[in-house]
Amino acid sequence: MFCFSTSINKRNLIYGVFDNEVNLMSAVEEVREKGIEVFDCYTPFPVHHLDTAMGISRTRLSIAAFLCGLTGFCLGLLLQFYMMVFDWPMNIGGKPSDYHMLPSMVPVVFECTILCTAFGLAFLFFFRNKMGHGVRPDILDLRQTDDHLLIAFDADTLNHDSKNELKVILNKNGVLTTHEYVGQYAVNQGGVHA
Amino acid sequence: MSVIDAAIRPPLITGGKTYADVTADICRPLENKPSRLWWIGFSVSFFCLMILAATLFWTVWTGIGVWNINKSVMWGWDITNFVFWVGIGHAGTLISAILLLFRQKWRMSINRSAEAMTIFAVMCAAIFPMFHMGRIWVGAYWVFPLPNAFGSLWVNFNSPLLWDVFAISTYFSVSLVFWYLGMIPDIATIRDRATTKARKFWYNFFSMGWTGSVRTWARYEVVSLILAGISTPLVLSVHTIVSMDFATSIVPGWHTTIFPPYFVAGAIFSGFGMVLTLLLVARKVLNYENYITIGHLEAMAKVVMLTGTMVGLAYITEFFIAWYSGYEYEQFAFQNRAFGPYWWAYWTMMGCNLLAPQVFWFKWARTTPWFLFMLSIVVNVGMWFERFVIIVTSLHRDYLTSSWVMYEGSFIEVGIFIGTFGLFFTCFFLFCRFLPVINMAEVKGILKNKE
Repeated sequence: MFCFSTSINKRNLIYGVFDNEVNLMSAVEEVREKGIEVFDCYTPFPVHHLDTAMGISRTRLSIAAFLCGLTGFCLGLLLQFYMMVFDWPMNIGGKPSDYHMLPSMVPVVFECTILCTAFGLAFLFFFRNKMGHGVRPDILDLRQTDDHLLIAFDADTLNHDSKNELKVILNKNGVLTTHEYVGQYAVNQGGVHA
Repeated sequence: MSVIDAAIRPPLITGGKTYADVTADICRPLENKPSRLWWIGFSVSFFCLMILAATLFWTVWTGIGVWNINKSVMWGWDITNFVFWVGIGHAGTLISAILLLFRQKWRMSINRSAEAMTIFAVMCAAIFPMFHMGRIWVGAYWVFPLPNAFGSLWVNFNSPLLWDVFAISTYFSVSLVFWYLGMIPDIATIRDRATTKARKFWYNFFSMGWTGSVRTWARYEVVSLILAGISTPLVLSVHTIVSMDFATSIVPGWHTTIFPPYFVAGAIFSGFGMVLTLLLVARKVLNYENYITIGHLEAMAKVVMLTGTMVGLAYITEFFIAWYSGYEYEQFAFQNRAFGPYWWAYWTMMGCNLLAPQVFWFKWARTTPWFLFMLSIVVNVGMWFERFVIIVTSLHRDYLTSSWVMYEGSFIEVGIFIGTFGLFFTCFFLFCRFLPVINMAEVKGILKNKE
């Protein structure tokens, strides 16, 4: 997992706009073959295997999910043991209120496990993506959530030669336009269809 | 290649749609003024919702005696309706979770609305157990493990009714999380198209800063898969636990080990009935015939037929086992079900749930929308009667003949039931008005013609 910030704030980016994921995918592969790192791609729908093509390692959220589930499992057991066995044992219909009641603890333990997994995972997902209600989105192009796909590069990591090389590769793979993003405004750099 | 798909398969989305078309089509109903039809539907639903408010108020104000339940039939319309609504909810999770695990791509145009249906149905369901306790204001610590002034005298974890509380509340909250998480990319799409200040603010608020970054998508896909993975046993557990409300009690007609699978099959059956009812109307009114195609309807009809036959098998198995057990109380309970005073309810159930779905062996029946719509109503009716039969016919003939009674829902009980339809449809109409009914992001991923 990459640990640097992926926010576009205060960054100089070069980005290309594509209208289909096949071209985007081949552009990513070709760019990476030349040793140029992709800063990020923005797509309106999940493009499978694009993350591996960009060299992003698999998220560890699945491990976190297991730990959340384990927590829920323990909390469920603790809740029932505390209430039914330690704090106030009750004899209702002659049913046990000691460890013999383990089988009837299963449903509640199960539900607690699921509940903690789902909520823990959702919160971690938001946390990991720095998502939250009212967070201002870093949108480069309004079409990136509609019908266009964006590929972005950190301009500060590229020298003059690799910038030119990059543009050749993007044009070869059918980029619609390329733009430069400096802080808050974007400059049209031209492209095959510009 | 991004999507591995056999070229010979017919496209799931027809009409040669492009990505831009998908966005425009799905956003159209929520970006334009609501149609006349929407206002009529919403008004009728809202009127029914007011009936719910009035009848519930009357129940609480006067007391539970306004219902016709009595000492023998202590569960009547209330728990019938509870099980009916919970069952309907199950199709949503089945479509979005189980079909995701099975990689059934046709689920993508219907999962959003089916999940919405789940959430609204569970809301309707929760009303009944809450209000059937009578004193709703002390209901919180009767059902939830909350500290109270009696000891604390905690809830009874040996009771299946308490398991149900945990199951239903977990089911509701996890479905809500799953639904919302899946909707964030689409809310972001609407946000970036918004023109008015209010729309910009609210869609921005709920989109949580979504940009469509590949890193986010990669995590999103993993999270969706895990949520689907845990929702699958969850949905099976919910109706299993609902069935345990009956199966763990020693009442002839209820004390049956086949109840869990039988209830789960019934839940999926009734849920798909309701999904069909809703989507057949929605695809027409909202002009989504290219997204919810005849192929989708046919697939759902097949599920209805399969699960209908499964519940039918369960009905017959119950009958056989009652005879085979040699236990005369059980035998009486089942004879009384089929040939006693509630024979009409039993045979309505049999007709609607076992026989009616058999027409789906014919392709014409599976692919004709108006016929499917009628059948979906039949399924809904049948599944309501199933719960009525299980509950009322098992209770109204007690061990002592002096306790034998008849039961029919009172005016208030019927009003509450009609009212829950009001709640359900009011929520659904609002959902159609403000949120995308079809998952745009996923549908864009399965388009065949990549323009």
